[in-house]
Amino acid sequence: MAEKLYIEALREGLREEMLRDENVFIIGEDVGLYGGAFGVTKGLFQEFGENRIIDTPISEAAIAGAAVGAALCGMRPVAEIMFFDFFTIAMDQLVNQGAKNRYMFGGKAKVPMVIRGPMGCGTGAAAQHSQSFPAVFAHFPGLKVVMPSTPYDVKGLIKSAIRDNNPVVFVEHKLLYWTKGEVPEGDYTVPIGKADVKRDGKDITIVAGSIMVPRALEAAQKLEEDGIDVEVIDIRSLKPLDLRTVVSSVKKTGRVLIVEDDPISYGWGAEVAAGIAGSEAFDYLDAPIKRLAGLDIPIPYNPNLEKHAVPQVPNIIEAVREVLK
Amino acid sequence: MATIVKMPKLGTTMTEGTIIKWLKSEGDPVKKGEIYVEIQTDKVNIEDEAETSGVLRKIIAKEGETVKVGDPIAIIAEEDEELPDLENVDNISTQNQEKSPQVFQQEDKTEAVKQTISDKIKASPAAKRVARENQIDLSNVIPSGPNGRIVERDVLSYIQEHKVKATPVAKKIAIERQVDLKAIQKSPGQRITKQDLEDQIIQDVDNAVDNTIPVIGMRKIIADSMTYSKKVAPHIYLSLEVDMSKVIDLRERLIPLVQAQHDVKLSYNHILIKAAATALRLNPLINSSFTEEKIILKQHINIGLAVALKDGLIVPVIKDADKKGLAFIAKETEELVQKAKSKKLLPDEYQGGTFTITNLGMFDIESFCAIINQPETAILAVGKIIKKPVVIDEEITIKPMMNLTLSCDHRAIDGAVGAKFLQNLKQILEEPVNMLL
Repeated sequence: MAEKLYIEALREGLREEMLRDENVFIIGEDVGLYGGAFGVTKGLFQEFGENRIIDTPISEAAIAGAAVGAALCGMRPVAEIMFFDFFTIAMDQLVNQGAKNRYMFGGKAKVPMVIRGPMGCGTGAAAQHSQSFPAVFAHFPGLKVVMPSTPYDVKGLIKSAIRDNNPVVFVEHKLLYWTKGEVPEGDYTVPIGKADVKRDGKDITIVAGSIMVPRALEAAQKLEEDGIDVEVIDIRSLKPLDLRTVVSSVKKTGRVLIVEDDPISYGWGAEVAAGIAGSEAFDYLDAPIKRLAGLDIPIPYNPNLEKHAVPQVPNIIEAVREVLK
Repeated sequence: MATIVKMPKLGTTMTEGTIIKWLKSEGDPVKKGEIYVEIQTDKVNIEDEAETSGVLRKIIAKEGETVKVGDPIAIIAEEDEELPDLENVDNISTQNQEKSPQVFQQEDKTEAVKQTISDKIKASPAAKRVARENQIDLSNVIPSGPNGRIVERDVLSYIQEHKVKATPVAKKIAIERQVDLKAIQKSPGQRITKQDLEDQIIQDVDNAVDNTIPVIGMRKIIADSMTYSKKVAPHIYLSLEVDMSKVIDLRERLIPLVQAQHDVKLSYNHILIKAAATALRLNPLINSSFTEEKIILKQHINIGLAVALKDGLIVPVIKDADKKGLAFIAKETEELVQKAKSKKLLPDEYQGGTFTITNLGMFDIESFCAIINQPETAILAVGKIIKKPVVIDEEITIKPMMNLTLSCDHRAIDGAVGAKFLQNLKQILEEPVNMLL
């Protein structure tokens, strides 16, 4: 199997879906000739032309609104928002229109759209271009939220997202774009709503998402040297949330650490923790459920401070040791 | 996770239940909500549903065994999951069977565990679960977790240290023969051997006595309520004979009609229910219940019919029998009798009776005196229809005669009042057209 970059796997998924279904098109700022701010759509304009790769003015509300309208009319738009931070501008169209139409029309309307973009800090882009808040969207009924962490998953999940008849918020992390992994040629999908055990272990379960998955795996590898056997679950979808996989892992290990990129307050980790505490895994918990997440602060511009704002590998190792004490 | 299934409380008066039949064997998968065991309570047999999905890994209460509400009857767990300590689980079932003095010690200990768990000892949920499954008193376990918390490994090492030591063969025999290993005295450090176990089994056999039927469940209810009735209610007995010619004739004519309407065969009991209901309407005092302060004349006429079971009896109730036609009474009665025989009656179907009929004619009984089913005040005992020579108009003729004996609670019903009812009933049966009135 060929090793590919996350960004290449994502592009490959988009391209294959556009070849498969002529209703699929891409809309966003600089997605055309320029190939997108991070280069996700590079080369697609040349292949599919201006009718299927559509550049827009700088208005995320317009991008999201146009995507909702096109989806209602039978198209399958993929809207790119340049930075996840700007999802707030697209939010009204997404939450008050996209998420609601299918329900308010008694199931007669479908909104098969994807809205995607990069979140996260680590590039020195400061407070307005570095945020992670996918859990916000998981709060709204009618939206699905996924955040793949590997090249394999990003290709499989973009396909599932495009083929889904509901609006899917598709969250990438800037630092993942240039990570490598094995990606099969041709068509395959990864189901929405299914977590993935990325590493088997018996001493503790780490539940992580997006960029925190490779960090948790790195921490697990280091902890293995001390004889600590860590299981790493990639939550992959925030909505629907796959608690079953988490619960059966916690029943096995009896200990759990949840690692998030978002600010800790009201994050998705709290949802997972509550799910575990209320499940049959409760009687197997041998230590309190622990959460490790971003600090409750806007992301600092200073690169040293920026690093301390979200969990890094040493923080994960330290948290695991604490749970295992 | 392994679920230790407990004897459910299936009715307000239920304190213990007997396992009639396991519909699943050990090793069979069970689904949540699936019927997997039949349990007999004091009143009925109930098919119980599994409270969780998994594999029926261990049957603790064998068929025929009686278990207190809340005591374990089985373990449902994942297919390859490690079960809670089988030795201890076996002890529990042995306890319920034998009720030896050790039992009570053991139960006290369980109680202690429950108390300690709810008390101030800090332990992780997993540690508490393991302690619960193995009946370990957490106050004896030394914590090693942060903040003085007992964690799972502490309980596991405690179990390891305090294990009853026995050879593998001895353990196997103990499980098969349900012998409590803890009951066998051994000097510390010494293993219990096969020989020790065989000695114990012989000792148990020596202690065994004649076959016994435990007075529990339905047996106990019958014993208590009959004793109570005879104790509080001074019974008077009134007997007469009824010429059943016209009832026989009526029944012959109605059988095909009822059969066609409801597919049941009209019986004398059905006609007796209808006739008694008609007579009760004319004699409201017979359809009553007695309390220290007042006699309550019941608004509804709900007639109970005693149904013999293999191991007891139960009285399903035909409600508002005076307002129902014969065909409907026949249908309803047969449905209730079938349910009674398969012990599937619901409480609503055997409660609320105001008068009872009991018929032993099918056993060739000519007449008998029944004990009143409290809080009712009368019961009608019915004998066999027998052709007898009777004198009519100075001539001896042969008539099909049936004896009726009414038992009345003299606190509520005087002889003449009971006699009046019985006379009315006789008139109705000898001239069944009266039932239409």
